[in-house]
Amino acid sequence: MLQINDVHAGYGNLKILRGVNMQVPTGGIVTLLGGNGTGKSTLLKAVSGLIPLMEGEVLFDGVSISKMKPHERMRLGLVQVTQAKEAYPAMTVEENLVLGAYTRRDRAGILADLERVYEFFPVLRERRKQLSGTLSGGEVQMLVIGRGLMAKPKMLMLDEPSAALAPKVVLEIFANINRIAKTGVTILVVEQNVRMALILAQYGYIIRDGVIMIEGEAKKLISDPAVKESFLGGSVANTAKALRN
Amino acid sequence: MGFDYNSLLAFIIFGVTIGVVYGIVALGISLIYSGLDIVHFAHGEMYMFGAFFGLVLAHNVGVPYPIALIGAMVLTALLGMAVERVFYRRLTRAGGGYTVAGMGMIICGFGMSVALVNVAYFIWGAEAEPFRANLDYIPRLSFPGDIEVPESYVLTAIISVALMAALHYFLRHTKTGLAVRAVAHNKDIAYLMGINVPLMISLIFGLACGLAAAAGVLIGPMQSVQVEMGYLMLMKAFAAAVVGGFGSLPGAILGGIMVGVFENLGAAYISPSHKDIYAFLLLILVLMFKPSGLLGVEAKVKA
Repeated sequence: MLQINDVHAGYGNLKILRGVNMQVPTGGIVTLLGGNGTGKSTLLKAVSGLIPLMEGEVLFDGVSISKMKPHERMRLGLVQVTQAKEAYPAMTVEENLVLGAYTRRDRAGILADLERVYEFFPVLRERRKQLSGTLSGGEVQMLVIGRGLMAKPKMLMLDEPSAALAPKVVLEIFANINRIAKTGVTILVVEQNVRMALILAQYGYIIRDGVIMIEGEAKKLISDPAVKESFLGGSVANTAKALRN
Repeated sequence: MGFDYNSLLAFIIFGVTIGVVYGIVALGISLIYSGLDIVHFAHGEMYMFGAFFGLVLAHNVGVPYPIALIGAMVLTALLGMAVERVFYRRLTRAGGGYTVAGMGMIICGFGMSVALVNVAYFIWGAEAEPFRANLDYIPRLSFPGDIEVPESYVLTAIISVALMAALHYFLRHTKTGLAVRAVAHNKDIAYLMGINVPLMISLIFGLACGLAAAAGVLIGPMQSVQVEMGYLMLMKAFAAAVVGGFGSLPGAILGGIMVGVFENLGAAYISPSHKDIYAFLLLILVLMFKPSGLLGVEAKVKA
């Protein structure tokens, strides 16, 4: 469904992605893993169109979207769920959700989806008249995922849904992501929480310094020593080495 | 002789009326600021062009005053959108968006102000022109104590309040209004919601300039229409926006009314020849005691 071919991108003269290749097949859950500053968020921005590509190409459903504006890509069904802190705090929960359906004109469908989101996340229904700035971290994360669903996406891209959340809340959110995938929405989840993400996904990519270092089936990656090495072990070992010197 | 409460009441009524006009210009400045993160220094000229458009429509074309008002708002909105598209937006193309382009945007705004004044000189000349509006169908308001409020003031109050109510309804209860608020808060996320952000920015600009034009056409029959009129209005509206809390829409209206009342009282009881100073006196007082403005919060209040 999503194909990323040799993508180079960055900010101004600073190149962050240096030739990323990835595929996300229809109906699957794929995860992109990496530490801070490895290029995860930059890749999401390049795919959703918030920053331009320097080189390479992004295909969605076989169509090149590299030159499209962000709102045009979104209308194709490629929806990015922003980080939790990026709900609109001065709007109510329901206003946030309605905003997610901004591009749609089918009133009945929007109401039905609103109901569906409230079924996924009952706490949002309780708080629907509340300003989203008053929600807890986990609730805001549910809100931004719900807002993404309101757009009736073919594919959702989630930016670190586990960030800064308690393990119990993370579990609840990931269970819901799994339920959403079962309804036929393709999912790309960008994460730092390696274990959780690899349990959820079928396929994983690990990015470091703007290139994909390792890729493979999630089941295999989870027990692959190279993953530990490149992601956690690597940095710990390097830090330890640096300390000793 | 005792204190004349009737004339105090009269000064307050006139102050409030003129104040709501400051308020709707300040509303436009706040709208642009909260939406685009720029301080629009050419906004006084939008007010001036609005007044002239209204004048031309009412005198030369000969349409009734309400039509002239609406026509002037539409024309000025289009002018504002064109200015934004052709001049301001180029600055944001260099990268970083409106926030980063800040300083260049301020200079561009000043330049636009000078340019527009000179264009207006070229078209309409330097003379002040009276705005004759037939307002006989508007009733004069009489208050107890022989206070008569002329038609143009009654009309101004009614239309200003109607415009504010319409703007409030638009921003709070329509989908496009929701999108405008989303763009005001964060353009990147608004993009991800599928909102056509450049179009919304044009809309914000058009709305703000249309409001300024309405103020121009409303003030026209009270004073006269003149090329340099924008400068003082910009200053007063800025004072109003800051007094109320920059970026806050209710604050802009409250600030406008306060500036209007304050300067009328100052002119009446201190010295009429320093009328234009009082707005800034109020501004300084508010900044001393509540720097974020009366309805402002620490971080800027978004529409």
